[in-house]
Amino acid sequence: MIDLVGGVPLYVLEFGDELVYFTPYTITLFLLALTFTILVLISRPEKQVDIAFGGDAYRTKEISVSEMRFRRFMAIACGLATMGAMVTGDIFNFTLFTAMVGITNVGIVAAVKSPHVQDAAYQYGLVSLSATIPLFGGAAVYAATTGSLSMIELMKGTVPAVPLIAKGMLMLGVIGEGMAPFYAAKAEMFRAPGAPYVIMCSLSSLLIFLRVVEIVMLG
Amino acid sequence: MIRKISHILCNYENIVPLFAGACALLFLVGILMLPLSYEQNQLYPKTIDRNSSLDPYDRGGPPFTMVAIHSQYPENSPSAGLVTSYLTPLSLYLSQTTMHLGTTIVAHPGGIIDEILYNTRGLDTVVEPTILLIAFAIASYLYRKVE
Amino acid sequence: MWDQYNLGLLCVLVAGVIGFVALARETDDLHRLLLLDLVEITALGVIALLGTDLAEALVLPGLTVGIAELLALSQIYITKEGLKERPVRGLNIEVIQKADAPAIISGFLVVYGLVLSGFTGGGVAGLGLVFWFMSRGYREDLNMLEMASGISWAIWIFAFFVFMFFPQYWFIALMGAAVGIVLKVTVKMSLVGTMWGEQHD
Repeated sequence: MIDLVGGVPLYVLEFGDELVYFTPYTITLFLLALTFTILVLISRPEKQVDIAFGGDAYRTKEISVSEMRFRRFMAIACGLATMGAMVTGDIFNFTLFTAMVGITNVGIVAAVKSPHVQDAAYQYGLVSLSATIPLFGGAAVYAATTGSLSMIELMKGTVPAVPLIAKGMLMLGVIGEGMAPFYAAKAEMFRAPGAPYVIMCSLSSLLIFLRVVEIVMLG
Repeated sequence: MIRKISHILCNYENIVPLFAGACALLFLVGILMLPLSYEQNQLYPKTIDRNSSLDPYDRGGPPFTMVAIHSQYPENSPSAGLVTSYLTPLSLYLSQTTMHLGTTIVAHPGGIIDEILYNTRGLDTVVEPTILLIAFAIASYLYRKVE
Repeated sequence: MWDQYNLGLLCVLVAGVIGFVALARETDDLHRLLLLDLVEITALGVIALLGTDLAEALVLPGLTVGIAELLALSQIYITKEGLKERPVRGLNIEVIQKADAPAIISGFLVVYGLVLSGFTGGGVAGLGLVFWFMSRGYREDLNMLEMASGISWAIWIFAFFVFMFFPQYWFIALMGAAVGIVLKVTVKMSLVGTMWGEQHD
């Protein structure tokens, strides 16, 4: 119990077999996700300005209200999923939250009308769908080799050691779900108005990376 | 060299083959690492009684009598084990006349599955329809967006 | 050491490698989606190899997530390719379009589904509505259906939290969940049924 990355759980919330627990590490990540979700909730979207090079002409890009509302909904859902992934104490539940982060990220990008962005969103969608395979597979190998899905049990060290391949699958799955935003931001920055919703993409993938590192070091 | 790699990574057309290749590689490593030790002490072990008409989902006894199930934290779900099965009138009739009712899980979810899904592992079930809702929101938004 | 679990795992992993290699070599977007749907089965295979009741309970979310993402991705594909001609226009059979039989059958299915309630009931009632929409061609307002879907989802989740935090009010929660899920599944299925139809404007 001493050499835990995340520290000793301070508070455990019980949902049947799935415990939600807070360590100093996960509390920090949770608060970060919460702050950004609130920021998305209250902030007003930016408007992009196109400036014609070598002249005085410029124009703001028109964004429809429905598109902004849809992307805000997706960003908030993404924030909630990230918060869930930060505090959940169950391997399979974590993979589900991660899959939800992936699909909301795709949604944030896919709402933009530009065909180029749509094309990019489709490719990220394919990656995030294929990432669910190692994710769920990894969780299932966790369950088969340790006989438990609870992170608290893994922490106690009462169950057999987790094989490396399960950890690798979990890691690769999170990489797949979290890879999209980096490219998405790139596709978006130049062709579509993004902030603050694209920030949510990047932040959520950063946070799930940080969390999976803690999980992999548990068993 | 690095510029070449980063150039390939830059193009989003390449990320699906790249990720699929990584997955294939990891699965190959998995094959090499094979035999894994299967833990015998599993949660919710499955018992099969071939003589029951509810076969794979038979949990013994009428509803509302406590059946022991091996959950992770039994103290958190004191009422787990009460629902042994529930049948619509039609499926009750079928269960009394044929031996193969349990083969149609879609129409007649067994008691144990529902107890895991809705009682002991309820949070999974909250997340799962939420993902469905998100996917549906994306699909219907795009569907209506096309002029 | 080579027990049933490991033999099964070997088969599934080999299948996964084959599927992923195929996916890596494929360049057509639509075929990538189809192949991905195929590879998704291996994930379900790994879960199913657990061989416990838990495995079955984990397969259901896994399957749902796959289907959900597939739904979203195929709609993105349609939008990105700009496919507007969708010639599926319900069942063009004169008997079905003119006669009373579809109304009676779908009416029966809906009523029976409402009696059953819950997930099964939602499926049955939704099937009735899908059949109705398919046989008549739809002229319904999607907004209403979507709103009903959202509200029923909220009812369901609310009932869920009542179960978790106030178990003594389980009966209200049970009724809420049953009503919520019957609406939810019905609406989802009928929406899927109508989305087959021609362009709505």
